[in-house]
Amino acid sequence: MAGVEASGKTVEEAIENALDELGAERDEVEIEVLEEPKKGRLGIGGHDARVKVRLIGDEDDDDEPAPGNRADPVVHDDDDDDDQDEEDVEREVKLDDDGNPIEDEAEVAAQMLDQLLVLMGIEGDVSIRDAETPGDGLGMAKAVLEVEGDDLGVLIGRRGETLGSLQYLLNLMVTRKLGDGNYFTVDIEGYRRRREQQLSTLATRTAETVKRTKRPTTLEPMPPNERRIIHLTLSEDRYVETDSVGEGEERRVSISPKRSAMRE
Amino acid sequence: MQELIEYIAKNLVDAPDDVKVTEDKQRGRTVIHLEVGADDYGRVIGRNGRIAQSMRALLKVSAVRHREYASLEIGE
Repeated sequence: MAGVEASGKTVEEAIENALDELGAERDEVEIEVLEEPKKGRLGIGGHDARVKVRLIGDEDDDDEPAPGNRADPVVHDDDDDDDQDEEDVEREVKLDDDGNPIEDEAEVAAQMLDQLLVLMGIEGDVSIRDAETPGDGLGMAKAVLEVEGDDLGVLIGRRGETLGSLQYLLNLMVTRKLGDGNYFTVDIEGYRRRREQQLSTLATRTAETVKRTKRPTTLEPMPPNERRIIHLTLSEDRYVETDSVGEGEERRVSISPKRSAMRE
Repeated sequence: MQELIEYIAKNLVDAPDDVKVTEDKQRGRTVIHLEVGADDYGRVIGRNGRIAQSMRALLKVSAVRHREYASLEIGE
């Protein structure tokens, strides 16, 4: 799931573009180079580099089947008397399209997160909700794991870095347990929600300025998930376009007047 | 704090039984030492040390909560 294709003048640039679209860090993805860039003659016949980037929680065990898929389908025994001691409470087993039982992945992830918090000496309640906005990882995350508690600022960290570490490790652990495609967003006391609000306000205001002055503006360096929010906020804007410039920690979003709009 | 690192490491490696975590307290500083199976170091260090860095970030939170100073060493 959550794979994107992107292009760029170099393979590197194509990868950066794809990562921006996903709002992911390089360690969180698997990269496939579809096409190396080729220089044409006199500007004809050349093409950009193309890559395919896919979100995973783990780097190098693609061939390992997920434990969830390995389990045999539950066979219901008509002869109830024999196995009464084994399992009195019959759990409702959800089946996927192929008729295999599905573990509730979000529940498993929430339990792991809860265990991490306990071991860190932090009192917090973990709840599960659907991803609804770009900041929630809509379209990529299976669910949002929301941590509520008192005084959890220490768990968020400067610019959300500690929260980022927590989410990164949790997704690695969850992927090891459940297999690829189980990506979760972790939020703490609504931090990501608030940050998303701030970022989209910032995006809109900066776009106004760019429209007025007709001059490109570059924002502060931001992590990929935050840059993604800026891009998405302005993706429908008729008058400005966004781009990411710089590398790694220094990568930032630039907002410039749309060339086509200028001609109007 | 030892348990935190142990829990994370065991959930990342191929050989959880080979995960060994020890704690060494010296003058108010706690040094957590993590050893894993020879083939599993990549899984607890990560590219550019990102996994190790993330574990250190969580360890720091834990240390603050316990009013201690803690560091993590990985390897034999």
